[in-house]
Amino acid sequence: MKFKAFLTENGVMLLERRFLPALDKMGKICHVFLTRDHAFFLHNLLSGDGVQSVAQFRKEALFDDYRISSQNEDRIAFAVDITLLHRAVRSSVSICSEFGSGGPTANRLQIKLVKKLPPNCTQALPFLTFETKGYKSAVIQDVPISKPLSRAQVLELQAALDAAQDLPQTLVQVPDLNQLQNFVDRMKHVGDLLNVSISKYGDLHVQISTSLITLGAEFRKLLVIGDKAAAPSEDRNLSAQTRVERAISRGDAQSVQVSVRQFSKSLQCHLAKPDCAFYGIAPQGACLTVIFQFFIPGTRQTDKSISLHCRLPVLDPGSN
Amino acid sequence: MSSSAAEHDGSDLVCQIDNVQGIVDALSAVRWKRHQDAVLELSEHGIVLIVEETGCLQAKVYLQKELFIRYEYSAQARPRFGLSLGLFVDCLNTFSVPGHSTTIEIQYPGPDMQLLLKSVDSLDACIYAEIRTTIPDTFPWDYNFEPAGSTPLSFTVKCAALKEAIDDLEWPGSSIEIILKPLPPSVTFRGEGHGDLQIDFMYYSNTDLLIAFHCDRQVSYRYKYKFLRATTSNIPGSVIKDNRGSKLTIGRGGMLKVQHLVSVARLSTSHQHIDSAGYQQPSRIAYIEFFVKPQEEDDNAND
Repeated sequence: MKFKAFLTENGVMLLERRFLPALDKMGKICHVFLTRDHAFFLHNLLSGDGVQSVAQFRKEALFDDYRISSQNEDRIAFAVDITLLHRAVRSSVSICSEFGSGGPTANRLQIKLVKKLPPNCTQALPFLTFETKGYKSAVIQDVPISKPLSRAQVLELQAALDAAQDLPQTLVQVPDLNQLQNFVDRMKHVGDLLNVSISKYGDLHVQISTSLITLGAEFRKLLVIGDKAAAPSEDRNLSAQTRVERAISRGDAQSVQVSVRQFSKSLQCHLAKPDCAFYGIAPQGACLTVIFQFFIPGTRQTDKSISLHCRLPVLDPGSN
Repeated sequence: MSSSAAEHDGSDLVCQIDNVQGIVDALSAVRWKRHQDAVLELSEHGIVLIVEETGCLQAKVYLQKELFIRYEYSAQARPRFGLSLGLFVDCLNTFSVPGHSTTIEIQYPGPDMQLLLKSVDSLDACIYAEIRTTIPDTFPWDYNFEPAGSTPLSFTVKCAALKEAIDDLEWPGSSIEIILKPLPPSVTFRGEGHGDLQIDFMYYSNTDLLIAFHCDRQVSYRYKYKFLRATTSNIPGSVIKDNRGSKLTIGRGGMLKVQHLVSVARLSTSHQHIDSAGYQQPSRIAYIEFFVKPQEEDDNAND
């Protein structure tokens, strides 16, 4: 089992400034899954509860000189503390920039999988090693990782990953992630359970309802991807709640209940600076999916080498 | 608009306000504990919110109708209902977007006697809330605050200085004596408990802190520290920053009245409301009053 690659400048930037801060919010421990062509950062795919998040990078998006080999179709997976990983990348960046005058090849950041005997231990442990060669010095950082997953565990992870790829039939684009995040963070004080409804007309409705208070927000005329329908004109002057109820009864909307905290967590992904975000409900209300889209810098074209999406567990199958 | 007129039929009150954060600040100032029941009174003059504790401490927030951009009151008798203050403030807070001025509409009663709130800025994004109200079990006690003599005993001190003084009195603890002296004109806060701490505001040497002072004879009363603390502990940072004067008056029997002013200025046009001296028009101010009962004389003797 071998893995060795150089992080590109763009890869370092993506990880250090955008993805690692976002993934850190999703949970301390994540699985890193490396294949011949892709690197994945996965949260909660095997545990079943909590927000599942899948960040996928084509190897060229992060690395060059990418070399991987294992007896399991060249797939390697292990768990890592994302805070430590972030810290290692961050300090490597500062070393690189400090000694950055050595030309483009001199300060490359190499990462590799190693087994080392730490002091006071009798057994060698696996590490992900970051090796930064500065102008006059080299710094090596060892980030402890879990024992690589067994063949069966890797298969399980791959199966969970494949299952997490289903797209909801209707996706609506969130107008302003920061604003929604701000709103949901304040909503957290009022209750724990959030009803989320999404209609084919492009309506996103979120609501907390307890015995003392009902608090909700409706965003209308959002961009719809997938199944869409024209909003019936007779619904125009209704209250938000009635409008949602009627759309659900017509079969034009779905509704699920999720944890407010988990919903808010999924919005933390805006730290990865996506260019847009879409919410959708999986068939049969299996989960609430949020998909973040990244554009090729300077264009409005989707960058297919990067993807990020989250799946929020549904607490109640809802009205469908 | 015909549908919205029909929607409001039979409502006692429909009002709109364009500075939610100002209202949140004013109401937060009287939120001295987590679970507090408040009573709301609606009238043609505005909305009054009242919170009380054990008959020794009462706070009122006056939101006069001038604070609202629209105020339509059509009830016969003044409606009065109870709700959870914490929930009301947290709910209002979700309507407030930092850096934006949000206009919300408040309506009472809803079909099920709820208090209804909704944002009215945008057609395509709407925030709404329905808060369940209760029938208040007791009438808030009317403190019937009366002046203690022919001249009022009062002083006005900068809000931040008052808060700081009361915060500092925490360590001696339980009971705080407030002494007003005409000669030399001064106010003394004195705490005795785990130790002694005395804070003096001298009128002539601290004119920037003690803005006004009226007292014709020496008086002193004791107040429970926790009640005194409640009068300043939750004043929001924005209000402390404004640092207006807070007026303290001692009434008959030693009843202490503490008055604060909270700006509810319109965000976008706030500079128009501030004249050259930096004072805002009274119409954009929410008034907050606390009434604190003094400790009984017997208690003093036992101390």
